[in-house]
Amino acid sequence: MLKTLIDAFALISTWEVIIAMFAASVYGLVIGSLPGLSATMATALLVPVTFYLSPIAAIATIVAASSMAIFSGDIPGALLRIPGTPASAAYADEAYAMTRKGEAELALGAGVWFSAVGGIAGTLSLMILAPPLAEIALSFSTFEYFWLALLGLMCATLVARSSPVKAIAGMFLGLLVSCIGIENPGGVPRFTFGITDLFGGIEPIPALVGVFAVAQVMRAMLTPEPPPIPRRKFGSIMAGQWMLTLKYHWQMTRGNIVGIIIGVLPGAGADMAAWVSYAISKRFSKEPEKFGTGHVEGLVEAGASNNASIASGWVPSLLFGIPGDTIAAIAIGVLYMKGLNPGPTLFTEKASSMYAIYLMFIIANIIMIPLGIVMIRLASYVLRAPRAAVMPVIMLCCAVGSFAIGNNMFGVVTVATFGIIGYVMEANGYPVAAMVLGIVMGTMIEQSFVTSLIKSDGSVLPFFERPIAAILAAMAIGALVWPVLVWIWRRIKPAATAAASSR
Amino acid sequence: MRLPDRVTGLFLVGLGAAAAYGGWQLPPVPGQPVGPNVFPLVIGTGLALCGLAIAFGIGHSFEEEEELIPVEGGQPQPPTGKLYGLRALLPPALLLFYVAMADRLGFIITAGLIVYATATALGARWKLALPLAVLAPIGIHLIFSKLLRVPLPAGLLPMPW
Repeated sequence: MLKTLIDAFALISTWEVIIAMFAASVYGLVIGSLPGLSATMATALLVPVTFYLSPIAAIATIVAASSMAIFSGDIPGALLRIPGTPASAAYADEAYAMTRKGEAELALGAGVWFSAVGGIAGTLSLMILAPPLAEIALSFSTFEYFWLALLGLMCATLVARSSPVKAIAGMFLGLLVSCIGIENPGGVPRFTFGITDLFGGIEPIPALVGVFAVAQVMRAMLTPEPPPIPRRKFGSIMAGQWMLTLKYHWQMTRGNIVGIIIGVLPGAGADMAAWVSYAISKRFSKEPEKFGTGHVEGLVEAGASNNASIASGWVPSLLFGIPGDTIAAIAIGVLYMKGLNPGPTLFTEKASSMYAIYLMFIIANIIMIPLGIVMIRLASYVLRAPRAAVMPVIMLCCAVGSFAIGNNMFGVVTVATFGIIGYVMEANGYPVAAMVLGIVMGTMIEQSFVTSLIKSDGSVLPFFERPIAAILAAMAIGALVWPVLVWIWRRIKPAATAAASSR
Repeated sequence: MRLPDRVTGLFLVGLGAAAAYGGWQLPPVPGQPVGPNVFPLVIGTGLALCGLAIAFGIGHSFEEEEELIPVEGGQPQPPTGKLYGLRALLPPALLLFYVAMADRLGFIITAGLIVYATATALGARWKLALPLAVLAPIGIHLIFSKLLRVPLPAGLLPMPW
């Protein structure tokens, strides 16, 4: 244990890791603070860079950039009422109301302080939860893996803030995309239409960049530019945060726990954690009437929650290769690329690397406080960058980054195609995150499904015979049937209430 | 680009049916009950069923309309015309332009054109767009080609490093 910890320290105390982490932190802070550029996009555009780094440094950049971007999304939320990332959308109104009351320092300080606390709580949950779960996971067979992966996909559809039917359709679309190529049980070209470039299948990373970055540039083409931020001088940012911690320690803990649970759930990420925690905070507050008028309580809880979910989202990723959210989906891709294949054995064979990941999370959340304060003070300058200057650079990064993944122009075609797909899906209420998770997990689901079917000689019964498999199966099927049941329930209900509630 | 649910739903039905049919056509692995054909069959069927449900409006009541955050001080209304919506297609079109031209023109020139076009479309004056179109490609080239050793096409204008 102690030796592993020392090994882990040795792994991260190289110049490469330190510089990579610092640079990625600054990058994450800037991208996260610019409205319209999300944390997922920041991480996805970072992947080509990680190719050329050592494994630990590569993971360091992902960890640092994603944690910073989630916090820094609070900054334009508080100053402009425009959330920098979707994870800050839940409480942007509240934070802006505080700014109008002249409490911008308190709102932003709460953002940075409770983000850091949440991130560390999430890391602790990762350290505590992962090893015992790894023990259980060692006895999993393909049946359990199939149900687990399916359950992960179903969770992603359940928590999407849109129609579950559309979310499931998005998931199927993603799975269909993962069918392309010759990496299937028979090794035959499938859905390649004779195009050689499609033989290798669709890489998840260019698809992600397309869906999250190109689609965003496309939307920017049709939406007006956000207003420039008024120049302002900030007072002390951390003043009063310790008092808030003491006053709202219960809300903070609750936010941490909710964030951890939502992070661990496959498919549900930081934005969901923030929405749920803000709602819980309002529901159980002693003074709910103050919410929406610039009350810091909801900010504390939701800020603590969304950063906690970032770290705990790595639990299913590291254990099963099932992403906890879209950022973790990117992290999984990087892990595979760097030879740290996710799975329960990772915790025994590469224990020092795991400890290094924990340490990097903790360090990232600690340096978030000073860097965050600097970022808040510089925000008036960074947020002045006109969109017409930022978006073209994003476009170039999309083109070069997707090319760099395989040194292949087909990557750029993939990015452009998925930009259109993502844009059309988003415009019509199909959640793109569900499709992304489908693409990432498709191969794994198919492999475990087909291997299980071969083992059982084509029979479906063995899928339910092992106890854990049966439990997971019940949960996954429940998640699938749930929207249908609710729909039927609404139909059966008396027509009067149905008419009142539906429209 | 908001299409009626009926349109997107029926499109998914078609896509799912095509996927299921395509999967069914794949050759099975000899001597095994399941092969590469099973998964597309399942997915295609599922997708077609979802498409049907969407076309008939099932689950529509779950959708939350995205709330638009109003910005204070009033904002200029975007001009609405028939061609205005097509502007959204500019980014993917520029990426395809990159694919087609980068090998011939080289990275710097192609990237410069892309930056200039994107910036202008987003409302930048030439005073901003022109320096950006010169500097951004050079910066990106420096990072990706020099530091990360991505083989970017040199084309007509090779960089000195």
